[in-house]
Amino acid sequence: MQTVLGAINVLLPIAYLVVAAAYGLLFFSAHPLAARTATPALCITVLLHLVYLVGLAAQHRQFPAATVSQALSVVSLAVALVYVFVEWLGRERSTGFWLVSMVFFFQLLASILARPSAPGVANFKNAVFATHVSLALLGYAAFVVAAVYAFLYLQLYRDLKAGRYSAFFGKLPPLEVLERMMLWALRAGFVALTGAVLAGGFWGERNYAPGFSLHDPKILVTLAIWLLYAAALLLRRLRRWQGRQTALASLAGLCVILFSLVAVNFFFTGFHGFR
Amino acid sequence: MASPLDPPGPRPDPPLLLVGTDFRCAPLELRERVSYKAEEGEELLVHLLARPAVAEAFLLSTCNRTEILLQPRDEDEAYRTALDLVFLKRVPDLEKPGRLYVKRNGEAARHLLAVASGLESMVLGEPEILGQVKQASALAEAVGAEGAVLRRLLRTAVNAGKRARQETALGSGAVSLGYATVELAKNIFSGLGDSRALLVGAGETARLVARALVERGVGHLAVANRGAERREKFREEFPEAEILTFEERLGEIGRSDLVVATTGADEPVLTRQQLQEAMSGRPSRPLLVVDLGVPRQVEPEARRIENLFLHPIDSLEHLIQRNLKKRKEEVPRVEEILDQELVHFRAWYRGLSAEPLIARLQKQAERIRRQEMELALASFPPETHEGLERLTRSLVRKILHHPSTRLRAKKGEEDLPRLDLVRELFHLDDEDPDGE
Repeated sequence: MQTVLGAINVLLPIAYLVVAAAYGLLFFSAHPLAARTATPALCITVLLHLVYLVGLAAQHRQFPAATVSQALSVVSLAVALVYVFVEWLGRERSTGFWLVSMVFFFQLLASILARPSAPGVANFKNAVFATHVSLALLGYAAFVVAAVYAFLYLQLYRDLKAGRYSAFFGKLPPLEVLERMMLWALRAGFVALTGAVLAGGFWGERNYAPGFSLHDPKILVTLAIWLLYAAALLLRRLRRWQGRQTALASLAGLCVILFSLVAVNFFFTGFHGFR
Repeated sequence: MASPLDPPGPRPDPPLLLVGTDFRCAPLELRERVSYKAEEGEELLVHLLARPAVAEAFLLSTCNRTEILLQPRDEDEAYRTALDLVFLKRVPDLEKPGRLYVKRNGEAARHLLAVASGLESMVLGEPEILGQVKQASALAEAVGAEGAVLRRLLRTAVNAGKRARQETALGSGAVSLGYATVELAKNIFSGLGDSRALLVGAGETARLVARALVERGVGHLAVANRGAERREKFREEFPEAEILTFEERLGEIGRSDLVVATTGADEPVLTRQQLQEAMSGRPSRPLLVVDLGVPRQVEPEARRIENLFLHPIDSLEHLIQRNLKKRKEEVPRVEEILDQELVHFRAWYRGLSAEPLIARLQKQAERIRRQEMELALASFPPETHEGLERLTRSLVRKILHHPSTRLRAKKGEEDLPRLDLVRELFHLDDEDPDGE
């Protein structure tokens, strides 16, 4: 089992890279081979990813989110699944390259950080704790999706503003659709993150986790992320912000999430860090 | 002018003769005189078919070209007939060198495919030509001018045209100001059907843009103009449009998604401040402003307004040039499609021409069998004659089975020389299958 999972761990980023390249060829040159192979290749890779995470769960007898590597891999799979759903729903493949590239990036980080054996985290047997982790990862995945749409929105916005018809022009969904997708993903992510914060707070208070502190770097950064997205959504709701400002906030949010997922866990380990 | 006369020889294509003139050969004042309306075209086709030299005929007459395609019985006579009836009778000047082009056989077939796919159009890849070829084909069919060969060739041409548009980007991207405006709008708004458009000005440019917007299903169209006469003229052509006075334009901008300025005014008709005020009532909705005027009709500083996309005429020209470049890059892929379709057409024609050859081959073999049987039967007892008859028939049938099957097989252009080889090997050109 260990050997098979190790092999898949190496294989996954390579497979996502190949899929991203296929979607890239499709986006930039409408290559007929890429048009035929991109979607099946993505579906196969997502299945392989699913097998990998189920294998990890079976091996460690817990939800595979006990390490930074596992959490990144779960986020990566969630983003891939969101894209598969979006493509299936709208037959829209122009955003595939960008979303799958992000999936590749997250899975590459996950594979690099993976260790042969992860220590078990007994807390996963607690339903509140499991909900906290699941919602947090789901929220992060939604914010990644929102950031990709925000990036594409900004590219098209700049092209249209400057009358510059770059490679993006005419290939992406319209600006309004990109903005709508970004807002849906932001709202979904915000709801999930709010749930994660509430569940985490409830669990921490009830279980008196060793070292539990509201001043823990992870909690502070997570609250900063929550506040950033709350402000962005509120200002958008109040029509103080338009698509461009919301998109910039979404990209800033992704940077803080990456900082939270990687840097905080490695360099500011408190009670909340992955072990 | 090139002569259509070539010695007939072994050829993969049916005899075809195409005579035509287009925007490259003749100016508009000559082209418009050889332009045929449907009823005139019908009459012309009837006249052409009445000539013994013409077996089938097809006339394509658009604003950019007039072409007559014939399947001739006598190429020389058919050429003179086409030249006189279609062109010189109306415009004798067309006899001057370079005014007309003549294409024959495979070249004519390929030209028709290229025309249908938009490769020969003034605006590369323009879509109207395919519909015009279909209409012209329907006319020829109605008159009875299309026979098996032209019907098949026209079906091949229409198929090539469809494939060129479906499988390549030859027809993609706008190449006119009206459609470039639509293309910009489609990059911003999720659906033109839900969008409101305001045209400031009601002249010819405004009507061009309005046609493109209406054709692409804009949700609401309004026009604001100073002159009442032009407003009325606009209303006649676009009865669905809301007609506004010039002053009403400012109130309408706040409700619009797309504003196109096309007046010939010397001063801007939309200022930054006016647009800023309009945007303040709709902060989260983008606004596309297209300025097609020279001098500019919209203050360039309006570009700085958040969520407002201002495109002057240069920007649209830039977009059109970009799209034309992309279309040109698709030409080799379209040429491949034309080659593939021609191979299919030739294979069909070859199959058509193989049948008489097979019949000749079988009749020649049967004649030889009978001759040999007559000579041989005297040497055999009468009770064996019936058996010998069966045996020799069976031998001939079995010997010819495989060659006949292979000749009928439609494998494509590469097999075409075989028919001539078979003719030569079996001396079939000397035979008259019906002369027995």
